[in-house]
Amino acid sequence: MKLDGEPILRTRDVVKEFGGVRALDRCSVEVRAQSITGLIGPNGAGKSTLFNVIIGLYGPDEGQILFHGDPIEGVPTYQLVERGIVKTFQIPRELRNLTVMENLLISAKRVPGESLLRVVFVPWKGRARDREVQERAERLLDFVGLSQLRDEYAKNLSGGQKKLLELTRALMSDPSMILLDEPVAGVNPTLATKILDLIERLRNEGKTIFLIEHDMEVVMRRCDWIIVLHQGRKLAEGAAADIRKHERVVDAYLGG
Amino acid sequence: MSELPSLVIELANFLVPAGVFAIMALGLNIQWGHTGLFNAGVAAFFALGAYTAAILMTAPVPPQIFYAGHLGYSWPFVGAAVAAAAVSGLAGFLIALPLLRLRADYFAIATLALAETVRLVINNAERWTGGSTGIYGVPRPFDAFTRGEPGLSLVYMAILCVSILLLLILAVDYITRTPWGRVLRGIREDEEATLALGKNVNRFRLQAFVIGCMIMGLAGAIYASLLRFVAPSQFDPLATFTIYVMVILGGSGNNKGVVVGAFLFYAFDWVSVRLDDGLPADWALRFPNIRLMIIGVILVAFIIFRPEGIFKEKKRVFPPVGSR
Repeated sequence: MKLDGEPILRTRDVVKEFGGVRALDRCSVEVRAQSITGLIGPNGAGKSTLFNVIIGLYGPDEGQILFHGDPIEGVPTYQLVERGIVKTFQIPRELRNLTVMENLLISAKRVPGESLLRVVFVPWKGRARDREVQERAERLLDFVGLSQLRDEYAKNLSGGQKKLLELTRALMSDPSMILLDEPVAGVNPTLATKILDLIERLRNEGKTIFLIEHDMEVVMRRCDWIIVLHQGRKLAEGAAADIRKHERVVDAYLGG
Repeated sequence: MSELPSLVIELANFLVPAGVFAIMALGLNIQWGHTGLFNAGVAAFFALGAYTAAILMTAPVPPQIFYAGHLGYSWPFVGAAVAAAAVSGLAGFLIALPLLRLRADYFAIATLALAETVRLVINNAERWTGGSTGIYGVPRPFDAFTRGEPGLSLVYMAILCVSILLLLILAVDYITRTPWGRVLRGIREDEEATLALGKNVNRFRLQAFVIGCMIMGLAGAIYASLLRFVAPSQFDPLATFTIYVMVILGGSGNNKGVVVGAFLFYAFDWVSVRLDDGLPADWALRFPNIRLMIIGVILVAFIIFRPEGIFKEKKRVFPPVGSR
């Protein structure tokens, strides 16, 4: 098990309140580089809120978030993607009336053709990059097995395919860290295994995975490290074997 | 100079206003059809363009007993049209800065309020705008060559208007086909997801909004010149509604579709006004209301049975990179 990496992400005493409810209560966690780190906890523990605060969709009320040692709280979400951290949504947020291919193309970064001034005044300068991006998209589609559906509207995909598209889209920007909010929830076992194998492969290629998952079987088998959240705070952390034995975790979450 | 055939003049009489509406529909299509911005203040940007052009192209008129007068600068059409687009674009920029943070429904209410505010300001800034009477005698671009021949100036106007429309179709089609346009459609589908994919959503929305407003301002300039006259009553909320009907009928997100939608809608208007003349008096009186009912029924039918409009937004298929 790989536990020796440096922390790539660190939160320090992060507080987030929603109208008096403390969703995150001085929450401090660390995620080691090139690990698959699982985030578990009962409903309402603050898991999704923590992800949304990290990725900048919510601003934290207090506390610090460090990515590669640099504070990132208050940095807009789109700039975080630029820096190499990306998040998928629990319920797939496919761009419905765009094709699968377009969903991937739009997820690439550093595309000159997305600058209005450039497309008006120097349109030819973006073409090489457009081609590169499309090649990458084709490769990824091949890799995850969605090539057949490349020109289908994303809204016509099945639930599991949408989950896969969600993950593939995140890979387009070549992130160093990926936050996955329940990547296999509601997915049939065959596809779930495929997605989880893909996640392991990404870890082996050097990416860091931080994921929320409710299926304990999956978490215990696939995660290198597990963080347990309870009432907005870290209750425990450790390798699967330790978490299984942890008395308070069993009480709070895993059940008797 | 020989008389122009009346058919040609009739055609020009149809083409210019239809072209103006089609240009407006193109502008709105960038905002609503591509980006999903519900601009309920189309009339404001139309009015700003029309008044900017009217004031710039006419000579100043001092206040009189029954007329408040207006400013005037005697500019040529081209300069006035560019200025009209610039003023509407600038207004769009300034209003969008605070508004783009709002959710879609609040954005709609705020732009609707803007349109009414613009109309009331124009109505009340009498010394500048002629008040509720408006500005008369706005010149047409080719008046210098066509003096004494109103039909010919209209035909020139039609050629100019249709040329501008064709150029704009090409230009809008091009920019919405680029990766920039793809981000607009991403924002339309899911703003937060597009943000999470690394796009500076507010910048794209601002750009799309301003470009749409500039096109509406340009349409306003052509309109003022066509009618030779502007007045606040031309720019009520119904004007905004009309453009939406054209975009929805033609097909939101399909640039050529919304142009066809504008022409079809205006053709209906055109035919029904002429039908009016042939009806017995008591029916002719009711006909304007019946017309609105027919439009309403058509709109509802479309929204229920064919929400994508006559021309569906085209699927954008990318040929494999190797085969290009």
